[in-house]
Amino acid sequence: MIRYIVKRLLSLIPVLFGVSLIIFFLVRMIPGTALEMYMGTQVEATPEQMVELQRIFGEDKPVPVLYMEWLGDIIHGDFGYSLRTGRPVFPDILSRLPLSLELTLFSLVLALMIGIPLGIVSSLHQNTFGDFISRITGLLGLSLPQFWLAALMVMAFSGFRGWIPMGNYVGFIVDPLRNLKMLFFPSLAIGIGFAAVVMRYTRNSMLEVLQQDYIRTAKAKGLKHRSVIYTHALKNAILPVITVTGFNTGYLLGGAIVIEEVFALPGIGRLSLYAIYQRDYPIIQAVVMIIATIFVVVNLITDIIYALMNPRTRLDDTTR
Amino acid sequence: MGKEIILHVEGLRTEFQTERGIVQAVNNVSFVLHRGETLGIVGESGCGKSVTNFSILKLVQYPPGRITDGTVLYNEKDLLQCSEDEIRTIRGKHIAMIFQDPLTSLNPVIKIWVQIAEALRLHQGMSKKDAKAKAIELLKLIGIPDAEQRADNYPHQFSGGMRQRVMIAMALSCNPDILIADEPTTALDVTIQAQILEIIKNLSQEHKTSVIMITHDLGVVAEMCDAVCVMYAGRIVERATIDELFYDPKHPYTIGLLNSIPRIDQDSEEHLHSILGAPPDLIDLPIGCPFQPRCTHAMEICAYKSPPEFSMGGDESRTVACWLHEKEHAHG
Amino acid sequence: MEKPRILKNGIAIMGLVIILLYIIMIIVSSFWLPFDPSEMDVKHVLESPSFGTGHFFGTDEFGRDVLSRIMKGSSVSLIISISATALGAVFGIMMGIWAGFLGGRWDNFIMRIADIMFSFPSLLMAIFVMAVLGENTYNVIIAIGIIYIPQFARISRGAILSLKSNEFIRAARSNGAGNIYILFRHLLPNSMPPIIVQVSLSLSVAILLESSLSFLGLGVQPPEPSWGNMLSSARKVMMIAPWTAIYPGLAIITLVLGFNLLGDGLRDILDPRLRNVS
Repeated sequence: MIRYIVKRLLSLIPVLFGVSLIIFFLVRMIPGTALEMYMGTQVEATPEQMVELQRIFGEDKPVPVLYMEWLGDIIHGDFGYSLRTGRPVFPDILSRLPLSLELTLFSLVLALMIGIPLGIVSSLHQNTFGDFISRITGLLGLSLPQFWLAALMVMAFSGFRGWIPMGNYVGFIVDPLRNLKMLFFPSLAIGIGFAAVVMRYTRNSMLEVLQQDYIRTAKAKGLKHRSVIYTHALKNAILPVITVTGFNTGYLLGGAIVIEEVFALPGIGRLSLYAIYQRDYPIIQAVVMIIATIFVVVNLITDIIYALMNPRTRLDDTTR
Repeated sequence: MGKEIILHVEGLRTEFQTERGIVQAVNNVSFVLHRGETLGIVGESGCGKSVTNFSILKLVQYPPGRITDGTVLYNEKDLLQCSEDEIRTIRGKHIAMIFQDPLTSLNPVIKIWVQIAEALRLHQGMSKKDAKAKAIELLKLIGIPDAEQRADNYPHQFSGGMRQRVMIAMALSCNPDILIADEPTTALDVTIQAQILEIIKNLSQEHKTSVIMITHDLGVVAEMCDAVCVMYAGRIVERATIDELFYDPKHPYTIGLLNSIPRIDQDSEEHLHSILGAPPDLIDLPIGCPFQPRCTHAMEICAYKSPPEFSMGGDESRTVACWLHEKEHAHG
Repeated sequence: MEKPRILKNGIAIMGLVIILLYIIMIIVSSFWLPFDPSEMDVKHVLESPSFGTGHFFGTDEFGRDVLSRIMKGSSVSLIISISATALGAVFGIMMGIWAGFLGGRWDNFIMRIADIMFSFPSLLMAIFVMAVLGENTYNVIIAIGIIYIPQFARISRGAILSLKSNEFIRAARSNGAGNIYILFRHLLPNSMPPIIVQVSLSLSVAILLESSLSFLGLGVQPPEPSWGNMLSSARKVMMIAPWTAIYPGLAIITLVLGFNLLGDGLRDILDPRLRNVS
């Protein structure tokens, strides 16, 4: 198992290297230099000042050298300085990251908490009408624009004071109740569509598993219906659901960016949008790099969870 | 006979709803099983022999399957009238099953010992620790080397023969009265087959367990069984003791089955016989005898009237469902 | 005569019907709309939906007819969705076939790039590309198309690889067929089923991505109506005029659902392995 994890961790290195390469060169494709952005049109600088500024912005060096320097910096957690405020980018991102991560995680938990039980229950009532309903629901879930749901929620609940607390983000540790209250509807907007998808996958997977011979064996042992469903069937049926969940965390992460905007939540999504409107490229560069890294790591974690739950993939520990 | 009857199946009917119509998989099947006896149920695939035995424990999945008629008396109780909760106390404890394919019949994500211990904990109220110890003991008994270590393995780490041993250990863990073995050796190598049969034979004799051995292999029957029911198209066409079956088969289908076994002592000039034609479509059963289209002895009556089971010499345990033997029945 | 299989699949038919209705609406809207979608009318600002005024879906904050704007916006959304999918499919399939057919180093290289592209959540990638290229309709097509390239590459490569080892390809080769002939005569036609399903699903995702981008102000720019930017401007007034937000959203859901239904139905029809799994 440990060998598997190490192997997967090592495989992240070339991927993240490639990610950083794409981000760096895409940003360099933007017309105009960072210095020009920074200077704007109002300020005039003397030629001496310009040379000094070009040195600070690194525009006196060839691009590959700049890339290597940037890469070296971000490995040390230095993502440069905001073009608008002049403040270092990384601390700003770090302070906003917990909200976005919590939002994504919360929406994931909600989706699984709604989707898996509904999927199990619906799989126990097996008929063509149920197939049809679960299929339509799943497809509808895929079709819901998260930002529209969010807007409708804001519209529907703004009349009820305190249902959706606005204002400064309160950490979960500081005030769990207020924190959850704040994030409940945003998370629901992100996750509800995915819940429908999870439901459909769980149902299909359960239906397939319930046909298996080992379910008959379990029944022949005289096990209670509950044990047959929750021990024997679910342990197998959950595996494809884990895979689907892994694939779709990107959808939840992306959803968080838009939903932060609708609910005015100060996360990194909102920061990145602000940066885009302001053409603040160091921030954009940093946020994209960090979200992509999170996504890659989350996928790695799902793979590991899958491997842990599926003994057939744990090939290297037969001696245990 | 004087032998104690432990299971009495009477008039069992099971049907399956399919897109094309209703399949009569089991059609008025009756048989008795005595204590300590090994009863073979023989027939081609699709003749209803497995469904018959799933029906005994109400393991036929609904939909599409449904038991429509019959009684299954065990300990003076009709299992078919039992509630789910009642029959659950029978399954695994008093009547246990071994299935055909040990790979798909074991849960791939649950450790071997846990799967064996489940029934022990449920039916005998053992603690987790005791159940594990008993599971390991059972694994040793059925000849798994390094049982302590292998108990923590998962099914995919076992070979086919070892998996079937695990199935046997699982089935016999609670010392059941009846063991139903559904083609236990079909999915295994020939060399392993004999070992598995040996284990079943020894353990059942040791614990006085009655066995229903479902198979299409007459070699297995010869090896294992005391009495035999031959099934064709959802019905029992002949029942006999093992000697009667091999030395005095009556039904043309049984004779056909026996002739299709290659024999070492057979004259090489002689052909190996096979039964011509295919098993009938269970949705569109012929009105008469189901075997009539393939039967070389078919008479006029066979085409329009299905034969009842004629008992030979008034012996209820020796019957043939064939018009050819009507007279023997009449003359008693 | 046997009915085409698509007509026996209820799900696919539902999808097809929805899409056809939209196509009819787009054709109608190209020469007739209830109102001029960009004409402002200060006297009829934020009117609620009513049959009397002819504004069935009400008017927005500039007095423009919401229904007319949705109709106009549907062609914008659909054109972007189709173009982006075509862009992604053409380049992706070319790369996938190249990788799958030639194998070896090229395969490795192309698939590594695809892996890297998959490390970006779709919407994040779209936002990033829009930030780089600048906000306009053409760039939306490019941004979504870029996301699709690795997806199509992976799928067509997989299809080619699974076909390459097939007996009939070996048979064709032993009969002296050349690479190009095998590619066009055998590999391409047989790898179409998964690609067709992917096209349908990509069309649906493109509409969602486009509307998200436009909603954030990074996509189609006003005054050109798109469902996403209609929702964006509706945010300021939706408390008093909910219809400005509800109807464009419903338009998005229906069309996206249409493509999803079609794609799901097609998967049943085209992929025999999945036919028993609902």
